[in-house]
Formats: sequence, C-alpha cells, structure tokens
Amino acid sequence: MARKKRIGREEGRAYWMMVLPALIVYMLVLAFPIVLSVVLSVSNYNGGKMFGGEPWQITGFAKYAKLVGDPLFWNSLKNNLYIVLISVFGQLPLGFIFAYIIYRKTVKWPGFWQGILYVPNIISVIVVAVLWSTIFSPNGPLGEAINSLRQGAFHAKLALIFTDPTSLVVSDDLVNKLLALAGPKASAIFTNPPSELKEFLMGYSPNQVQQVITDLTNMFAQKWTPAFLGKPDIAMLPILFVTLWIWTGLYMIIFLANMQKIDVQIIESARIDGANEGQVMRYIVVPALSGTLVNSAILCIAGSLSSFSLVWAMTGGGPNHVTEILAIYMFNNAFLGRPDFPLANAIALVMVIVSFILIGITKAVENKFGGKGE
Amino acid sequence: MSEEITTTVLGRFSAAFAKILAYAVMILFSVMTIYPIFWLIMNSFKPTREFQMSQLGFPHSPTFNNYIGKFGAWKLGDFDKLIPNSIIYTLGATLGIIVLSVLAGFAFAKIPRKATAAIYASFVIGLLLSVQSLLIPLFLEVNILGIYNTRLAVLLVYVGAGLPMGIYLATEYIKGIPTSLVESARIDGAKYFRIFRSIILPMTIPVATTLAILNITGIWNEFALINILVSKTELKSLPLGMYRFSGSLSSDWGKQFAALTIGTVPMLLFYIIFRKQITQGVAAGAVKG
Repeated sequence: MARKKRIGREEGRAYWMMVLPALIVYMLVLAFPIVLSVVLSVSNYNGGKMFGGEPWQITGFAKYAKLVGDPLFWNSLKNNLYIVLISVFGQLPLGFIFAYIIYRKTVKWPGFWQGILYVPNIISVIVVAVLWSTIFSPNGPLGEAINSLRQGAFHAKLALIFTDPTSLVVSDDLVNKLLALAGPKASAIFTNPPSELKEFLMGYSPNQVQQVITDLTNMFAQKWTPAFLGKPDIAMLPILFVTLWIWTGLYMIIFLANMQKIDVQIIESARIDGANEGQVMRYIVVPALSGTLVNSAILCIAGSLSSFSLVWAMTGGGPNHVTEILAIYMFNNAFLGRPDFPLANAIALVMVIVSFILIGITKAVENKFGGKGE
Repeated sequence: MSEEITTTVLGRFSAAFAKILAYAVMILFSVMTIYPIFWLIMNSFKPTREFQMSQLGFPHSPTFNNYIGKFGAWKLGDFDKLIPNSIIYTLGATLGIIVLSVLAGFAFAKIPRKATAAIYASFVIGLLLSVQSLLIPLFLEVNILGIYNTRLAVLLVYVGAGLPMGIYLATEYIKGIPTSLVESARIDGAKYFRIFRSIILPMTIPVATTLAILNITGIWNEFALINILVSKTELKSLPLGMYRFSGSLSSDWGKQFAALTIGTVPMLLFYIIFRKQITQGVAAGAVKG
C-alpha cells in the first residue's frame, strides 16, 4: 500500500516536472498576452509603467466602437482578406497542380522541380520583400526589360523607314513618316514638329544613318514606368503576387507528400479500366487529399491574417495606408505617434477572432461536403 | 477497329500535349522562382553606378567592393554582430523547443493523468493561433517583466511560439511508441525520468530532427517578433539588420544587394545540404487530417 502511494507520488512529480516548463513558457507567450490584450482593450492604459505608474482603469468597449467606425480598420481588414483569398484560392490550387504534375511523373526529375519551387520558403521574408519591391520599383529591372523590348521594336520600325542604311536623305516624306511613327511624343518634344525635326535631321552627316536611328529611338520610343507600389489602386497587386511567389512551394511539398501516401495500385487499376487523367485526379487524388486541403486552408488563413513582415518591408502599409493590413494597422496604433495601446490590443483580438471565424467556416464547409471522402 | 486506333492516336497526342504543357508550367515557374534570387546575388557584385545604367546585364568587372571595406555592407550592417546573434537565437530556441516538447510529449503520451486532456488541448488550440497577432501584448509583457532588450525575451518568445507545433508532433510521435516498453520498465522499478532518458529519448530522434528543421529556418528568418523585442544593435538578428537596408540605406543598391546576399547565402547553403530532410520535415510537420 505504502509502496503504491510512493509510486503514485513519483508519477505525479515526474509528470509535472515534465509538463510545467513547457506549460509556463506557453502561458507566458500565448495565454498571458491574450488575457492582457482582453483587459487592456477595454481599459484606458496608455503607456508608462503598468503597475505602480500612472493609474489606469477599465473603461468599457469604447475602443471597439472606435475601431468599427474607423475606415482605416475596414481598409486593412479588406486587404487582409485579399491576402487570405489569394492564399486559399491561389497558393493551394497552384501548389496542387505542381504537386500533381510531379506526382504523376508527367515531368522528369521530380526532386529538381520540388527543390527549386520550395526555395522562396527558406529565404527571409525581408529579403524577398526588398528584392521584389526593387523589381517593381519605377526604375527597376521590370521597366528596363520592357523598355528595351519596346526600343527594339521601335528600332526595327525605324529601320524600315530608313530604307537606305548608308546615306541619309532628308525629305518631307521622311519627316512625315517619322512623325507618324513617333505620334504624340513628337509634339511633346518639339513645338513645331515638322520643321524642327527636319532641322534636327539636317544636323547629321549623310553616312550617320545608324546614329540617327539610335538617337530617334531614344527620343521617341515610348517609355513605360512601372510604379505598382506607388499607385493606390494597384499597390496591393505586387503584394499578392509575392504572397503567391513565396508560399506556393510550401503547399506543393505538403500535397506531394500526401499524394505519395495514396496506394499506387488504385490509380493504376483505374487507368487500366479506362479512367483518364482528369478522372484520376477528381475521383482518387482530390478525395484522398481533402483532409490535407482543409488543414492547409486553415494554415493559410491563420498565417495570412497575422502576416506582418512582408507588407511591412515592401510598402510599410503605404502609400497613404492603401496597403495597410491589420497587423500594420495595429503596429502603427501602438508605436507610431501617440500610442493607443487599448486600440492596438482591440485590433489584436479582432485578428484572433476573425481567424477563428474563418477557420470555423472552413471546417463547416468540410463537414458539409463530406469531409474526408474516404 | 478504326475507331479504336483513332482514340489511341488521340490519346497519345493529348498525352504528348500534356507533357509539353507540364514542362512549360514547371520551367516557367522555376525560372520565375530562381531568376530573381540569381539576379539579386549577381547585382551584389556590381557597383551601384553600373546597376543604375544596366540592371539586367552581367557585371562588367565583378567586384567585392559592396561587401568589404569601411563602408561595405558587412561593416555598415553590423553583420559581425548579427550573425552570432542569429545563430544563438536559432540554436537556443530550437533546442529549447525540442527539449520542452519531447519532455511534455512523453508525459502526455505515457504518464496517465486526468489533467492531460485539458492541457494538451490548450496546446493544440495554440496551433491555430499565430503569435504574430500578439505583437503588442507581448511587447507590453516583456516590459512588465523587465526583459525588453534581452536575449532571454527573444528566446522565451521563440520557444513559446514553437511549442504548440512541437508538443503536438512530439506527443503524437511518442504515442506511437509501444506503451509496453514503459510499463515493463516501470515494473522493473525504473523512475519516469530514467525511462525518459534511456528509452524514450533515443527513440524520439526522428521527431526531434523534424522539429529542428521546421524551427531552424523559421527562427533564422523571423522578423516581426524580434522587431518589437529588441532595439539594441548588439541584440539584433540578421532579418532586422537586412531590414535597415530597405529604408535609409536603400538608395545604395549595390550595398543593399550585398547585405541581402549575406543574409540569404547561409540559409541557401543549409537548404542545399539538407534539402531532403527539410522537405520531408515540412511535409511531416503539416498537421495531418
């Protein structure tokens, strides 16, 4: 009897010694912040020492009311939902397609493609953000590439006009053709295009045809300036694109691993019975992966609602709050200008609640449409 | 008969078409993935002036000037401080996550206790919760605890953030180890810690590896949390250091690219060496249905 008791005590002690370290850290990092958030969001605490500093008290739900009335809140919620949508309906299908192509051995070297498409996941989001915002910047390589294509095309058109590549003969006919090609750009450069262009051409010696073509290309070829991140109505597009760019490979890996668990014989016998590739996908692979798909959607939702770093490093929420997402909206309210910690904490809770609601919807959809489908 | 021939010919034709399409898709997306990274590294060897003239061409005469020297990215970005910090945070927090997870996982899986159901469930709920949404309360909490601007705060938060996944994977894994092993050791009078050390721990190496892989890349690249936990250069990690190059230093492209390359290459090498383990670990870590 005594021995049994002693063993029981040892059991209890061992259990708690093993569980408590993890539980304490977990409480400190997840549970306590949530409680703190709940308390502060209904208080008037505004910086300074929390205990023993300026007194603060519970004041009610005023901050939530303020939140609902703030157009910036709705704007950032909308942007977050865009990111959720591109994640669930972009990353997942695309990742599925990649995984399926590799799984069905439609392409050779499965490890190679897999290895490459996963690379963005191991690079810091900060690097990715700076890299792509450089690419999308007005003076970035995208502009350079497209403009060099345009200049090439314009160059070719000019070469058709200057039929004799060795001697330059300036005629009214030539000037008119050039002006027609240049379009409105000519009147933007010259006040009186026909005579001034003619004068300009007379400045060259007859054997300088190539030089003329080059100079005219530089002068008249249309230039395109990419300014995605600076234009309010399209500033979210690069962010959504990069969101796809980074995480699609992750879902490819997850899907592929789960596809490889499917019994190969099922697919082979279906093929022998005359099922085509589309039917194999629809009736065998998709049902087998439905659980994985739902869990991936949940992963996507939870991740994209709290995402911060990518947008922070790409646009910082700008220009003028257009690309602001909830996490940045929260960050700005807490750290920018006059801190409003209660409001920031209310936003934190809204983020948690919205993500639980979306996850709930996903689970409900799963239940409605037969879930595992096995 | 002839109809059958037509269908097989058609079938072959569409199969060939599908193959071409599949290769086109894979090549297109692979180029889109790799080329920007290659472009980044390539441009880090160009002087900024040359970059402004030609962003797409190869460097005329590759130079290390963006990296080295008094005003090179290495010095300017304090990388000599950032890299050791990143290593400390990554290894420290990863080790912490593994140890705490495997310990608690063993208790949850093999020591029968009424409390387990509730505690374990609370960890699993944490899987759905992203610590990033708690940036502000966490910032306030580390200030209450007086550990703002300390390595302890960073390690604590990273370990806490990794625990739900760690505990979940470790517990499920240890549940798969036959209970009879534990029971017979108990009958022989072994204490739980001894059983843990000599029986369970060696058997959890696969799940520990998975956890290491999942956490090493994640923590090495983490930005949002550490951004609110430390402000001293001596405590900053690589992503924080690289972020500096997106703001005030961003007009000096050459150095910016050099800084980004310094931050990227270690993980790229890690990936090249452990690619198989990483992709397997990621697949195993994706919570199953």
